[in-house]
Amino acid sequence: MLRYILKRVLQFIPVFLGVTLILFILQNVVPGDPIKLIAGERKLDPVTEMNIRAAHGLIKTDADGNIIYDENGDTIETPMVERYFDYLGGLLQGDLGTSYQKGREVTEMILEAYPYTVQIALVAIVIEAIVGIGAGIISAIKRYSFWDVLVTLVTSALVAMPAFWLGLLLQLFFGIWLKDLSGGALALPISGVPGPRPQFAGWMYYILPAVTLAAISTAYTARIMRSQLIEVMNQDYIRTAKAKGLSKRDIIFKHALKNALIPVVTYVGMDFGAMLAGAILTETVFNWPGIGQQTYTAITRRDWPIVMGSVTVIVVVVMIINLIVDVSYAFLDPRIRLGNKSEK
Amino acid sequence: MQYPLDLDTRADECAAAAEAPVNAEDSNPSRTLWGDAFKRLKKNRLAIFAIIWILFVVVVAATADLWVPQVLGAPNASDTATMVMNSRLAPSLQHPFGTDTLGRDVLSRVIYGARISLTVGIVATGISTIIGLVLGAIAAYYGGLWDTIIMRLADIFLAFPYTLFVIAMIAVIGNGIQNVFIAIGILGWPSIARVFRSAILSVKESDYVDAARSMGASDVRIIARHIFPNSVASIVVYATMNIGGAILTESALSFLGLGVIPPDPSWGTLIQEGQKFLQTEPWLMIMPGLAILTTVLAFTLLGDGLRDALDVKMKDA
Repeated sequence: MLRYILKRVLQFIPVFLGVTLILFILQNVVPGDPIKLIAGERKLDPVTEMNIRAAHGLIKTDADGNIIYDENGDTIETPMVERYFDYLGGLLQGDLGTSYQKGREVTEMILEAYPYTVQIALVAIVIEAIVGIGAGIISAIKRYSFWDVLVTLVTSALVAMPAFWLGLLLQLFFGIWLKDLSGGALALPISGVPGPRPQFAGWMYYILPAVTLAAISTAYTARIMRSQLIEVMNQDYIRTAKAKGLSKRDIIFKHALKNALIPVVTYVGMDFGAMLAGAILTETVFNWPGIGQQTYTAITRRDWPIVMGSVTVIVVVVMIINLIVDVSYAFLDPRIRLGNKSEK
Repeated sequence: MQYPLDLDTRADECAAAAEAPVNAEDSNPSRTLWGDAFKRLKKNRLAIFAIIWILFVVVVAATADLWVPQVLGAPNASDTATMVMNSRLAPSLQHPFGTDTLGRDVLSRVIYGARISLTVGIVATGISTIIGLVLGAIAAYYGGLWDTIIMRLADIFLAFPYTLFVIAMIAVIGNGIQNVFIAIGILGWPSIARVFRSAILSVKESDYVDAARSMGASDVRIIARHIFPNSVASIVVYATMNIGGAILTESALSFLGLGVIPPDPSWGTLIQEGQKFLQTEPWLMIMPGLAILTTVLAFTLLGDGLRDALDVKMKDA
């Protein structure tokens, strides 16, 4: 087991380097000079501009931070490779650089935005697990019943609709129509309030964004749960349990569910990782100040230190969650032995 | 954002339909893979609905130039004289989906949007499929170092948060429809490569491949003539489902203002334009969403039907 974990962690390294390297190359070919964009339409004062470039390590400086000039008196651009190693070096010390636009530490900005993403992901994953597993079980036990057909129809529709559209429909229904009908008594707040955290206290704010974030994965969870439970119910040991005269309830909850849940738990776990990567669309539709929205805004403004920093954090978090899911798989199902040539 | 549109839970119902006893009269003639598959597909009512809907959307979109401007009004042109008068009208007989803020007919824009969304879905899927097939074939057939490099590259692509990657890609190459093709197309290859790679691996060691090799067939010929036909079923199924995913991705990009450049209508752009009037004219945003929902659903159901008809196992997708 330990060897397996170690091997997986070692496999992270090339993937991580690959992801960051691709991103690094991307930022160097993107049109638009990020430093010139700071001032917007106006022209930056050349000296200020040079100092900003020096501060971000875009041009070469000596050990005291003085700008180095070449023989023609021009500044020397830091080569891309050198800057990539600067980034990696900073990363090892927990320093993700400084935002071009806001002049703030990227680490600090991520620490500020990430809790919002984590909170909404936690609410969403609870919804996904409860509703998805519940609907899947009902649908499998009462096969071809009204409920089964309903679950099949709803899940088919959910996976075929854009999540942001669902978010807008929920806003329309719970934020606008119900408000008009009930005089505001039943309405749910439709967008997050960016700003200092105390303003963000009401739990009601979490409902609609979390439902939107959870919707599609809930549909998948229900489908996987249904097909797994149906498959398990056809196995011999369930027939034996039936022959012993156990009640249907005991068979399902004590025998079948334990095995049927394993792939579902894996899916939900992986999905939690995906949710922690930040949901750009959900966060945009609900004006939710999480890491997804922050990264998206940073890309449109070419604020590369924020983009690099966020993607770094996201990729590491997703990889760790996936590893935890894979390892927990072995605990849930003792038949699985990790490390024995199990990969494809 | 690109969802694996794999609706496997309905498989049992469809399989039951597919395994229904074949009539004595049609049990002997066409015994080709596609002939049989078509017969089974015809018995799947959901798949037939899906095909009819897709054909309907395609025909309406393709013939739009012939009748839409006359009946409903051009999708982009806005007559300044009547603009204010026609702005944001509720759905009526003359404007079944209402009009937008510039007095343009929304149904007309949804129909022209279908052109863009369908084209993106098909072209982007085509690009991913070609890249995926080539890389998957190299990885599986040559194995060793090639396999490691290509599959690690696939891991890297899959480790990226998909939405972020597409957005970053668009940031690099700029928006506009061609770039949407490219971005979605390039980022979609890893899943296809994985499917094709495992399909090849499962037939690579078969006797007929050995036989072909011993007769001196070249690698390309073996892959193209012997291995590809044996895995084409899974690729067709996967690509069909992928079209729906590409349409969803395009709508998300356009929604964020990174896709098609206005005034050209794509379904995502229409939702984004309609979003501003959520409170007063919700149909502006509901109608294009319904177009996405029904079309993506149709491609998913068709993919589902094809999977059951062609008897493809989708474990690696």
